[in-house]
Amino acid sequence: MILLVVLIMIKVKFFATLYEHTGKREIDLETASNVEDLLNRIEEMFPGSLKILEKGYMILVNGINIESLDKLRTKLKDGDTVSIFPKVGGG
Amino acid sequence: MYANWGKILRVNLTTKQIKTESFGEDIARKWLGSRGLGIYLLLKEMDPKADPLGPENKLIIAPGPLTGTSAPTGGRYNVITKSPLTGYITFSNSGGYFGAELKRAGYDALVIEGASDKPVYLYIEDDHVELRDASHLWGKIMSETEKAIKAELKNEHIRVAGIGPAGENLVRFAAIINEVHRAAGRGGVGAVMGSKKLKAIAVKGSKNVVVADREKFMLVVREKINKIRNDPVGGGGLPKYGTSVLVNIINENGLYPHKNFQTGVFQYAYEQSGEAMVEKYLIRGIPCFACPIGCGRLNRLPTIGQTEGPEYESIWALGSNLGINDLATIIEANHMADEYGLDTISLGGTLATAMELYERGFIKSEDLEKGPPLRFGNTEVLHYYVEKIAKREGFGKKLAEGGYRLSKMYNATDYFMGVKGMELPAYDPRGAEGHGLGYATNNRGGCHIKNYMISPEILGYPYKMDPHDISDAKINMLILFQHLTAVIDSAGLCLFTTFGLGADDYRDLLNAALGWNLTTEEYLKIGERIWNAERLFNLKAGLDPLKEDTLPKRFLMEPMPEGPNKGRVVRLKEMLPRYYKLRGWNEDGTIPEDKLKELGLEEFK
Repeated sequence: MILLVVLIMIKVKFFATLYEHTGKREIDLETASNVEDLLNRIEEMFPGSLKILEKGYMILVNGINIESLDKLRTKLKDGDTVSIFPKVGGG
Repeated sequence: MYANWGKILRVNLTTKQIKTESFGEDIARKWLGSRGLGIYLLLKEMDPKADPLGPENKLIIAPGPLTGTSAPTGGRYNVITKSPLTGYITFSNSGGYFGAELKRAGYDALVIEGASDKPVYLYIEDDHVELRDASHLWGKIMSETEKAIKAELKNEHIRVAGIGPAGENLVRFAAIINEVHRAAGRGGVGAVMGSKKLKAIAVKGSKNVVVADREKFMLVVREKINKIRNDPVGGGGLPKYGTSVLVNIINENGLYPHKNFQTGVFQYAYEQSGEAMVEKYLIRGIPCFACPIGCGRLNRLPTIGQTEGPEYESIWALGSNLGINDLATIIEANHMADEYGLDTISLGGTLATAMELYERGFIKSEDLEKGPPLRFGNTEVLHYYVEKIAKREGFGKKLAEGGYRLSKMYNATDYFMGVKGMELPAYDPRGAEGHGLGYATNNRGGCHIKNYMISPEILGYPYKMDPHDISDAKINMLILFQHLTAVIDSAGLCLFTTFGLGADDYRDLLNAALGWNLTTEEYLKIGERIWNAERLFNLKAGLDPLKEDTLPKRFLMEPMPEGPNKGRVVRLKEMLPRYYKLRGWNEDGTIPEDKLKELGLEEFK
């Protein structure tokens, strides 16, 4: 029997207060399925991250807002870049 | 009348006559104040075909009914005049403290007419108004001007709004600057002031603005301040990072214009972002009068010491748009632009046009009169040409005319990224098509802030709209933004209150202050009146909608080459006819009789 494990690498970028919280501008994560899973993985690595996103967030997959994709269920594939912003911006 | 004084100060610089006039509540009911009052007066009193730099143009400086009160951000004022950059109406807005002081001196509007033969400045202390000689101030940068006036009048608490060398030299995108670093930036209002040889307005005011029901007003004010404080942007991102928090947001969304809008992504955007500024140069945030947000930036550089700003627009215009990553150079250039009195958006846009023309071989190095090469990424361009522009020296003589006229000199207007002659701000419309429609239809030309569709299309305020949806719902949202913005501007408040407040909240503040009982729809109707009145002024000035309600070819025909918006253009042709229809306008973009009647504008036909 052959066990196949598919590894995918996702680049995650943190901005504003989330960057401050994690101390990282970007990390590479291996993860399996979708944005919601990714957020849970991030919460494991950097507890308190989800609280920062509580008041609102902007999450982009390859620059496209997940609101125009499948929201938190947006699937991720190898090589995707996920940009995560707490709700911070205007002007 | 409450909140408004009902008083206009009229100064004729030709005859040197100074007088005050009253206006009644009926005018306030139709026009609210500030921006609205301004367009009413200009439509009534001047020929829209007049030369913007001639004595027939009028310069109106006006705070609003809420300016000078404790309403959150109640410190703003507008400058309304005919623009020497576009040839159309402009309404330039600034914060800081000057507006509140002018209001507290007892005036709803300053109307400056004619032109002085010698440099003068206006000194207002409540009811005392005089014109004073400014020949010793002519040529001074803003900090020197303010210092000299305060010393001369022996009062450190005077507020000063004025022009630097750029306005004096009639640079077409010269600004009016108050407190050295706040700008009524767009449209060349500084050049209008310079053409009248008015160097500055110095004001001290001691009257408290009277609102209709003080207790009720304070309750409403407190409620609205809390709303703003609890908002993640108004009470979070903006105070912490300033407007430059947008750099990374807009870049990651793929519409951060780079090298004169050749593309919408910049590899080194991070280095000029709000996050980077906080880490490298920020001392603290600064608020304007009565502001709970405090998005202003007090920065310190080893080279120039303390300075205020730059804002997101300025960083982009002097940064990514010029292919420049270096935040320190950008901050220095912004500081210079403030001191010389220049609009940073048009300054950057003009230099970007010049850089593209240079790289494409239209502008030759011999043309530059020994100036450094106008290459994208060449930071020396900022160190050298900003001063040359302000002083109209060397190649600065051509640059001072603005990007449109510069591109025309070389027969290369396709490379000017602007609308109606005004350089576009920091969002590539191929990434937000509703915002693009806003650029094309805005009364003052290529402007983002008076119809800031980036809010719904990118940021999700009031709710998230797809940036590439071009349905009627999108167009109706644009129209709503154009009207609501006119109301907020005319009230004397800052547009950043929209991060926290909705249309109903402005109704509450205005009703409590003015003692009125209008519905939100009735306030929006005033906004619609103001918008149509501005449009009418432009039509009378000679606007050709089918030719000028448009966008540069780049956005209509050149697909975005890379990034999340790769392949996109702006489908303006599909939106514009529906925009006119939804506004109740004719197919040719003019205003029909019945719409003029509905808004009470027939007298200005």
